[in-house]
Amino acid sequence: MAYKFDFGAIVPHWQLLFDGVILTTELTVIGAVVGVGLGIMGAWARASRAPVISQIVGVYVELIRNTPFLVQLFFIFFGLPALGVKLTEFQAAVLAMIVNLGAYSTEIIRAGILAIPQGQIEAAQSLAMNRVQIFRYVVILPALKKIWPALSSQIVIVMLGSSVCSQIAAEELTFGANYIQALNFRAFEVYFVVTGLYLVMSILLRMGLKVLGNFLFERRRHV
Amino acid sequence: MSEFSLWDIVYNLLLAARWTVLLSLTAFVLGGLVGLLLLMVRTAGNPWVIRLVRGYVELFQGTPLLMQLFIVFFGLPLIGLDVSPWVAATLGLTLFTSAFLTEIWRGCVESIGKGQWEASASLGMNFTQQMRYIVLPQALRIAVPPTVGFSVQVVKGTAVASIIGFVELTKAGTMITNATYEPFTVYGCVAVMYFLICYPLSLFARHLEGKFRHVAR
Amino acid sequence: MKQFFKTAIAAVAMLAAPLGAASASALDSISEAGVLKVAVPQDFPPFGSVGTDMQPKGYDIDMAALIAEELGVKLELVPVTSSNRIPYLNTGKVDLVISSLGKNPDREKVIDFSDPYAPFYNGVFGPADFSVEKAADLVGMSVGVTRGAIEDLELTKIAPSDVDIKRYEDNNGTISAFLSGQVDLIATGNVTAAAIIERDPPRKPEPKFLIKNSPCYVGLNKEEPELMAKVNEIIAASIADGRLNAIAEKWLGIPLPEKL
Repeated sequence: MAYKFDFGAIVPHWQLLFDGVILTTELTVIGAVVGVGLGIMGAWARASRAPVISQIVGVYVELIRNTPFLVQLFFIFFGLPALGVKLTEFQAAVLAMIVNLGAYSTEIIRAGILAIPQGQIEAAQSLAMNRVQIFRYVVILPALKKIWPALSSQIVIVMLGSSVCSQIAAEELTFGANYIQALNFRAFEVYFVVTGLYLVMSILLRMGLKVLGNFLFERRRHV
Repeated sequence: MSEFSLWDIVYNLLLAARWTVLLSLTAFVLGGLVGLLLLMVRTAGNPWVIRLVRGYVELFQGTPLLMQLFIVFFGLPLIGLDVSPWVAATLGLTLFTSAFLTEIWRGCVESIGKGQWEASASLGMNFTQQMRYIVLPQALRIAVPPTVGFSVQVVKGTAVASIIGFVELTKAGTMITNATYEPFTVYGCVAVMYFLICYPLSLFARHLEGKFRHVAR
Repeated sequence: MKQFFKTAIAAVAMLAAPLGAASASALDSISEAGVLKVAVPQDFPPFGSVGTDMQPKGYDIDMAALIAEELGVKLELVPVTSSNRIPYLNTGKVDLVISSLGKNPDREKVIDFSDPYAPFYNGVFGPADFSVEKAADLVGMSVGVTRGAIEDLELTKIAPSDVDIKRYEDNNGTISAFLSGQVDLIATGNVTAAAIIERDPPRKPEPKFLIKNSPCYVGLNKEEPELMAKVNEIIAASIADGRLNAIAEKWLGIPLPEKL
């Protein structure tokens, strides 16, 4: 019964894996940029004193954080058409990732905002900065800097989580893996290779986020 | 064609939810123990141990849990080590959970000022004593809320155990959908059940967070 | 801990032993264990889906029961998905895969296939207002299909390049995509399409054209000639005495064709 590995059987299908890596990257980048943007707005709403908006955002965050991503994805892809909104699998996958990361980053960034000492905000007010200026320079940048590692981890988690988008026929990396193994039944070989690819991608992503963090936050110290 | 009433759907999902809870508990308890062990050796350890633990964390945080379980369950038999689904799930989920928990806790331990280590060392405390009396009591307070928060991730993470044959909540949902062709009813119920398991945990985490923030100030 | 070391040592010992030293034949170990472990689908009615008791039932399950009965052993069903059924077989966690498997040359390099045990006609289906009679008419349309199923592989071969083939994880994804209008047409088995029409949905998958007659085979590990011979013998006998025909009429609603 000794199984004979044949990694060569994957080679003819490399294009599927390559396309998968590209699509997973696209999903992650768009999802991360827009999702974190959504998170900043959400955190602002949560921290603001407008009760209704703050509560709506609170419900959104709890709904998303306490249900599986796959279920969210299904509702967006199969559910929205019933309401007349038809999205392609790529749009649905991106939207699901944005909505998901938006909720998590709202929570993470909110924690960062709460950690900003009240005195700093008061100091900024006494310098006659307006609300937007205060939020931008005194609140959000220091807050983001503080929670950047946690946010980076969440982005990596979302990238790995994008693997379930294959269920709605988005042709990302796991799609490629499952398709290849359906073609040639070489599940082990494919999964080993794909696991390695995910690992490389998440290490690169983490490094990229670190560089981005340095660029965003460290430089400003000297300004 | 089988006819599922709404009650059949809910009943079967509830049965499957037991697996979700059991897998989550196992993963969380064992993952916590291993995570604690890793935290200890990492905090005390020499550069090589630190590098090793870092690699471990990178590996299990940087690859999909699905693939990890697949390789444990189907890969070990290839080298002649047959594991039951239960052992594979326990092992896979423990590795995964411990990697995350050890990272969360490392941050908490590192937030304890260096001066405290030095002060306790100057009192002649050894590493175990420092940990036991100085660092852990303080770190624990910071660590509890994110740890409880992470338990929500573990609960949702158990869904991938279906790849090795566990019929837990998500899998049961898929199976029933395939028999009924009613994805909305079924996945709606699945979402509600996850919410019912996870939301109390989230609330608890938030409660602890508020409590400890108060103490810390 | 002691147990762990024992296991670890055993593992190392097994690694050291030449892997090629094959164990007893699969047939012998099945009769010795008294249990036949079969991988069956739970997401593909009428071949295999769950009843309200969550137990699998369907054509494939009845076939598995028939083989176990002939071998005089107990049957253990292992519900699988299309992405893990072959690893189950390769790692010896099951003895047979009876999961409406279709055959192709690449797959034959990894596992062996028995004689066919069930008919399977797949084709393209869709609402009446799509006028499609052959693969070439599909230009510019989107077709949903279950990833890696035989109809996927065949359709990919014959469809013009600008047909948008969407490949879903399982049968349910494919059907949901069709019913919700995410794809224009669906490529699937004729029995699946018939089952959907029976439920009278707003979008009906009416037959457009046949892709392929692609019967189902029992999957076995390579180099198990005795088990293969036995399975083929059972299939032949059950065709001859009408038992397989009864299974076909029960689940597919049609008698077995003259020749599978």
